[in-house]
Amino acid sequence: MRNSKILVVDDDKIVLESCKRILEDEGYKVILVESAEGAIDLLEMEYVDLLIMDMKMPTHDGMYLFEQIKRKWPLDIWPELPVIVMSGYPTPKTIKDGLNRGAADFIPKPFTPDELISSVNKALKRRKEDGPRKSDRSPGTGD
Amino acid sequence: MFYSTRLRLIIGFIGVSILVGVISLFVGSQLIYRAVLNEATMRISRDLNAAREIYLSRIMTMDMALNVAALDPEFSSLLYEKNTNRLLNKIKKIARQSELDFAGIADGNGTTVCRIGTNSTAFEKETVSNPVVEFVLSRGKAISGTVILPYEFLHEENPELAARARIELLPTPMAAPREEGEEKSGMALCAGVPILNGQDVIGVIYGGKLLNRDKEIVDTVRETAFQGETFKGRSIGTATIFFKDLRISTNVLNPQQERAIGTRVSQEVKDRVLIEGERWTDRAFVVSDWYITAYEPIIDIHGDRVGILYVGVLEDKYVFVRRNLLTVFILITIAGMAIATGLGFLLAHKITVPVRRLISAGNEATKGNLDPEIGPISNNEIGSLQTTFSEMLRSLRERDARQRAESEHKLILSEKQASIGKLAAGVAHEINNPLTGVLTFTHMLLKRTDLDDEIRNDLQTIAKETERVRKIVKGLLDFSRQTKLDPEPTDINRLVKNTIELVENQALIKGLILEFLPGEDLPVRTVDRSQLQSVLLNIIMNAIDASDPGDSVTVRTGIGVSSAETVPAHGREKNGPAAAGGDESGRGEHAVKGIEIAVTDTGCGIPPANLDKLFDPFFTTKDVGQGTGLGLAVSYGIIERHGGKIRVHSEVDKGSTFTIWLPLEDKIEK
Repeated sequence: MRNSKILVVDDDKIVLESCKRILEDEGYKVILVESAEGAIDLLEMEYVDLLIMDMKMPTHDGMYLFEQIKRKWPLDIWPELPVIVMSGYPTPKTIKDGLNRGAADFIPKPFTPDELISSVNKALKRRKEDGPRKSDRSPGTGD
Repeated sequence: MFYSTRLRLIIGFIGVSILVGVISLFVGSQLIYRAVLNEATMRISRDLNAAREIYLSRIMTMDMALNVAALDPEFSSLLYEKNTNRLLNKIKKIARQSELDFAGIADGNGTTVCRIGTNSTAFEKETVSNPVVEFVLSRGKAISGTVILPYEFLHEENPELAARARIELLPTPMAAPREEGEEKSGMALCAGVPILNGQDVIGVIYGGKLLNRDKEIVDTVRETAFQGETFKGRSIGTATIFFKDLRISTNVLNPQQERAIGTRVSQEVKDRVLIEGERWTDRAFVVSDWYITAYEPIIDIHGDRVGILYVGVLEDKYVFVRRNLLTVFILITIAGMAIATGLGFLLAHKITVPVRRLISAGNEATKGNLDPEIGPISNNEIGSLQTTFSEMLRSLRERDARQRAESEHKLILSEKQASIGKLAAGVAHEINNPLTGVLTFTHMLLKRTDLDDEIRNDLQTIAKETERVRKIVKGLLDFSRQTKLDPEPTDINRLVKNTIELVENQALIKGLILEFLPGEDLPVRTVDRSQLQSVLLNIIMNAIDASDPGDSVTVRTGIGVSSAETVPAHGREKNGPAAAGGDESGRGEHAVKGIEIAVTDTGCGIPPANLDKLFDPFFTTKDVGQGTGLGLAVSYGIIERHGGKIRVHSEVDKGSTFTIWLPLEDKIEK
């Protein structure tokens, strides 16, 4: 669990900073990227254990990133990689969309450090126990 | 449609005028024609009398001339002396004066002494008796009148006369058949006067006028009775003397413009006049034209009907009068029709113009112009139609204005809510990112162990207030989201029970009595469980907040009635009775049954001024930090999407009842 590499994608720097502080404090390696394109580029080069991404971003959104990963690495990265979706405007539709596409969890913004840590731990733990999973409906939060 | 109304009106007018015109034409012309015909018949009757007088006066003249001569004493002495020459001179003189065709003197035996004819002296060889002389001698007195003279007699008297008397019978269409081809006898006006010597008749003076081919009498009748009157160049009056049925003296002309001597009278006239001896007055076809005619029999000296006297006027004259009359009547009818058409147009115009205006006004109203021009109000039935129409438009305008005001109100409300929603969404999204930072770094700081208590307290305040901001933003998001319903068949009582369990602890802590009185036999209703539960939670939490320790909060369920058709602008009946005491079934004619969930508290109540704003977003009476003012606005939206409504009944210091009403049949917006 520790030393796991976590990629965080969000267009807002304070969110990235917050995630970095919380997760590094917990001993994770954190890589920050500000766009979906940046995330793709990074995944080309590096292996990560977990992806945390914002749903709503200016040029390409979280859904796009989902589709790209599925399309590019259908055999290696995709089935292995757990994804946590964040949103500052969580609607039942966005939550459902994310979970249906295979997200491990959904975190509404703003969140407390404990909320993030518990979600990340859960996702990583499950990955370790269950291996790759297609779709997991964890209980919705926030509403 | 109105074109045909106008057309019908005009056709009606023309029809009536034609009918009246034709009837008056027919009746009037008949009446006047009858009068004219009567006049003509009376006139011809008078003319026939005149003709008879002329005929008789001619006989009388002859009679008088011979009587005067016979009184001359010289005559008897000359006859006595057999002075033939002097007698002949005398008789010739008389014959000339009286225009006699034949005249002579016979002795007391009937033997002719002298005569004015060509063979005035060959008396002894005579074989033919003289009918006039014979008549005088046998009666011993003078005689005058019509006499039929045999051809032989005429020939004895004068062969020229006999030739004149011969008339060939011409074929005549309607005449009675006659076998002989010509008539040789003559018909004459004759007079015979005895010459007396004392008491003895010593001779007879006789004379006469042959009527065959005579012009004098008939032309005299024409000149006297008809006074030479002509019509289109033709003499309108005609006269004829018939010998039996044969025209022997006439001024009726045949198509060749010759006197129609030799033609005959029709069998009908012959039968009526000559055989039955009646007078005949009627229109008749004479030779080649229609005449208005009069016939009467001529009686000879023996009292036999031997001929017919006829007068007639050309019918053409009266036909012309009738034709003129007809023309005048037709002109009057046409003028009447023209006037009727004009009148029809005028009337139709007067009637149809306001009706057309009404129709176009109606069309305009259909297109949306509810204040169309309908023109001046007529002072008849159409006027009241116009007034009614205006009234109808006025109430339509009023209704329209009312509806517009209502829908504007609704529109404003929904625009208000939509814009608030958009704003909320935008704000929420933008605020949540920095809030993440604030929360993260506050909590990171709080994790440090080297903080003194004062700083730790301050940081905890920051964390707490940030949590509050987070709640407000979440409320905003809930409000802004027009979340679609996810309906499932639900046991309402169980849902209420589960919800109450969530807040039981809070009621207990506050020292309140929280009670649930479930209604029996509630039907299963399809609802979005989580949203309905959040509504219930909101209302029950409000009730708990409004209550003080010792108060009670009661939740009841049951079947209630509401008028579903007229949902007020905010879908609430602020002062409506509580569901438990619901006697409102009598109020609305569109009363609809539904499930009711009533939450009653015995708390502080809501002032009337606040009732109006209860469901407005951001309206709250709670202390700062206690409420967002969005709970009831969101709840109202959820219940409305379920086809239901929320009623509030409240009295200050006595408490409030919030009633959620859901119609039994599902009218869910999905």
